[in-house]
Amino acid sequence: MPTPSSVKLGGLARRDVLRAGVYGLGLGVLGWGTTPLLGSRAQAADDGRILVVVELSGANDGLNTVVPYADDAYYRARPRLGIRAEKLRKLDDRFGLQSTMVGFERLYKDGHLAIVHGVGYDHPSFSHFSSMAYWHTGAPNSGDAFGWLGRLADGMDPQGNANFLVNVEDHESLAVRARNHVPLVFDNPEEFARGGLFEEQSALTKLAAARSAYNPTEAFLFDVAASAQHAELHVREACAAYRTPVDYGLYRFGLERVAALIAAGFPTRIYYVAYPHNAFDTHVTQADIHTRILTYTSDHIAAFVQDMARIGRGDDVAVMVFSEFGRRVAENANLGTDHGTAGLAFVVGRKVRGGHYGAMPSLTDLDDGNMRYTTDFRRVYATMIRSWMGYPDVRAVLKEEFAPLDIFPA
Amino acid sequence: MTREQTGAIAAPAAWAEDLAPISDADWSYARARHLLDRAGFGGTPDEIARLAHLSPAAAVRALVDYRSLDNSRLPPFEHSGVYDPTLTPFPATRPAATTLAAETGMAMGIMVKPSGTRKLQPVANRFFYWLRASTLETRRVANWWADRMVTTERPLEEKMALFWHGHFACGGDKVRDYRKMLGQVMLFQQHATGSFRTLLHAVARDPAMLVFLDAGQNVRGAPNENFGREVMELFTMGVGNYSERDIREGARAFTGWRDDDLTFRVDAAKHDDGEKSFLGRTGRFDGVEILDIILEQKVTANYIAGKLYRFLVREGLSPAFQDRLGGLLRDNDYEIAPFLQTIFLSRDFYSQSSVGTHIKGPVELIVSTYRRLGLKALPGVPDFNTASSKLGQVLLNPPTVAGWAQGRAWITPGTLLARGNFARDVVLPDMIDFVDPNLIPDPQVRRVNTRILSGMDITAATSERDSGGKTEASMDKSMSGTRAMANLLSDQEEFNTHYASLKGWEEAVRKIKPILRAPAQFSLTELVFVEQAKSTADAVDALSRRFLSVPIDDEARAATIAFLNEQIGTDDLVRARSYLEEPLRLVAHLIMSAPEYQLA
Repeated sequence: MPTPSSVKLGGLARRDVLRAGVYGLGLGVLGWGTTPLLGSRAQAADDGRILVVVELSGANDGLNTVVPYADDAYYRARPRLGIRAEKLRKLDDRFGLQSTMVGFERLYKDGHLAIVHGVGYDHPSFSHFSSMAYWHTGAPNSGDAFGWLGRLADGMDPQGNANFLVNVEDHESLAVRARNHVPLVFDNPEEFARGGLFEEQSALTKLAAARSAYNPTEAFLFDVAASAQHAELHVREACAAYRTPVDYGLYRFGLERVAALIAAGFPTRIYYVAYPHNAFDTHVTQADIHTRILTYTSDHIAAFVQDMARIGRGDDVAVMVFSEFGRRVAENANLGTDHGTAGLAFVVGRKVRGGHYGAMPSLTDLDDGNMRYTTDFRRVYATMIRSWMGYPDVRAVLKEEFAPLDIFPA
Repeated sequence: MTREQTGAIAAPAAWAEDLAPISDADWSYARARHLLDRAGFGGTPDEIARLAHLSPAAAVRALVDYRSLDNSRLPPFEHSGVYDPTLTPFPATRPAATTLAAETGMAMGIMVKPSGTRKLQPVANRFFYWLRASTLETRRVANWWADRMVTTERPLEEKMALFWHGHFACGGDKVRDYRKMLGQVMLFQQHATGSFRTLLHAVARDPAMLVFLDAGQNVRGAPNENFGREVMELFTMGVGNYSERDIREGARAFTGWRDDDLTFRVDAAKHDDGEKSFLGRTGRFDGVEILDIILEQKVTANYIAGKLYRFLVREGLSPAFQDRLGGLLRDNDYEIAPFLQTIFLSRDFYSQSSVGTHIKGPVELIVSTYRRLGLKALPGVPDFNTASSKLGQVLLNPPTVAGWAQGRAWITPGTLLARGNFARDVVLPDMIDFVDPNLIPDPQVRRVNTRILSGMDITAATSERDSGGKTEASMDKSMSGTRAMANLLSDQEEFNTHYASLKGWEEAVRKIKPILRAPAQFSLTELVFVEQAKSTADAVDALSRRFLSVPIDDEARAATIAFLNEQIGTDDLVRARSYLEEPLRLVAHLIMSAPEYQLA
């Protein structure tokens, strides 16, 4: 188990790098193998726990994910899209998983899957982009420039140690945007490398690195350039070297790369992975499509949990899964569903106390065709912030106090 | 060239938020470069100098009033001929296609086999054929468009078409018909700087848009709100300026609107002509009237003007300034050209907040690289779509209907490295390892192909299990019982999806016209000698001036000169002329790897 190298991988604080001008001294071909070691341990209560957040973009249809099959109102609202009870993977006498979610069923039976029902917030937005921004910032309607995970990182590690936040995605999510951290963002590790001829290396290091900036845009570019220079070699090597017997499914949307970094001893405490392209936006003929993407999601997440156990990190990792909102209770005329309100969140991991959390909203007492949410999504966040990551100041991250759910028993 | 000599950066502080025109005395080479960067994709020193010799008003007119410029030498898109009418309507999913065939005996022009094994196999093949063919042809459309951006005499036309594509963002992967995507690009080119009013009405009837936002499924009694929502949230007003009720009422007005292959029609039987309450008005509105009501809203002009300004000029608009920009667009009755004319002449456009603060988008970076090199055609190596994809932008496939987040959102550690690598692929194209990416199937297809050709039957050839027994799953026996569900399901299908995928690939690639794979043709040696360079310092300055809108600092400049000295063994350029090209190309790579290269 390769954890001992984590201190080295932590590197030094980004702002210090810029001040010290390390890049000007020529880190050279081997990148940061020569980087001086500064304190890289976070200041918050620190037992090395890792939070992995999975975003299902496009608004997952929670009612066809964890199906309330005992409720006739479900079948009345969805005469064609409702999944019949006998086709479900039943969890108990009320709920069943969509039939291909074998991985989630196993997690549930092992007691490692917490299902949070009725997750939402006041005055819901039905816009993907607004609602996702609310989830990303953890502060609806605030227009905040930083994400909730960015603020959590800033709180846990005010020095802004390198690689504290990793975002496996082709663009940086607002959720990880931070004041004192430059998140490490990459998609394809093989391409996360600066190519150059041998004789160019030293000059490239100088040209591609930070210097005094003209304007804020250029200062921003220099920050990102420093982060890139800092991390490229190790991400590439970690991903290339990683071997696992675990089957991550047909669509590997990033957790296998997270596993590689964790196995390589990255000091990262927060990972953010997104199922891309608004895939869950199923307005039309959703049954086949939704089944397929849930299959991939369930396969991929269950594999990750299994893989973490395999490398001995199962107790250190928890996965939180969310979508920006749910869909309307009634199916639409096109065998699909339109934008709704309350949705589902999942928390997955070996330290999780499995079961149902939050109350299932009524399917008949509706607000203009939509479920009334029962659980503010920031309670799920508070659970991850305080109960899981051990960071006490929920208010600093979410701007208000929220009570954690009892998902992680003391 | 040092930072102090750039000129354009320095401007009176009072110019910020001032829409009054600059004077002839304010005009300079650096400001002409800024204009060409923003109203186009940048250009060569010659092109900039030509603008600099005009008055600022004439320079702006030369870019904005482009209709008199002859663009007829630009070739129209050349179709490969992959489409035939039996592909319309195209089933929504593969299961829908095979179910249709099982029920009716035919789908997509392909009949079900009357007997034998895998009776639906040809139908499944056909389904994957069109997915692949349309995808490849859509890439050719993107390639054709990028070539226009590089070679057009009217760069603003293409720049604005690119803006509208990001604004009215439709994705070819969902539309699944390259012809519709091509039609939409041409619509954006046609209305690039025309009336936003006309464009909005045209887009609402555009087949690609109608398919992309499920308008065809929006019917009386059960409206699908996708288009009704996005038309207000993303295309006109911006979030927060209407209610959920407005969305539902608006969606009713668009019921029955649908594509009729490449044209528009209203299905009267599915149109809800009842009374609607929309944005405070009541009437039996149809979609046209809804759009007109939206265009009457003050917020619409503000939203469009602000978005245009952020795309072409700068971020960080104060609400008051955005209001004034909206007023300017309203005063011009949504006509884009006169709006841009005022903007491109304004003091704010040349102020310190604007110049050198724009982060080029991926397509803009690529096109501006080629235009600064003075290329006469889009290179085929590196592949345009692959290059832009690595930088985070795929033409005709924006990530969502919201288009691309601009500005800083383009830059991550990964994409910043990729930008430097793109520069390397241009100046030192890897002709040894280059393979046309359109011809590379995914590993699964390739594996099945190899097995089929070796004489295996379809079931064995498409099995997940490797005959060599060397799959990763076999590394650990204890894991073999837990194959992912998706892999298990594939075993149970009544016809073979993997085989269909292979056959679809084959036929599509057989029919698609190839993209010419030629690298960029240019000589940096000639370019620096044309500029009278004598020393390595002159050469570095000439290349910096050509490629950078915001120059590197003295220290980085000195490092680059030292590098060139070392490479050519002298600082005498004339002495080294016979072997100068490769070292100059490395210098260009260094300069284009600088963070400054992202700025315009």
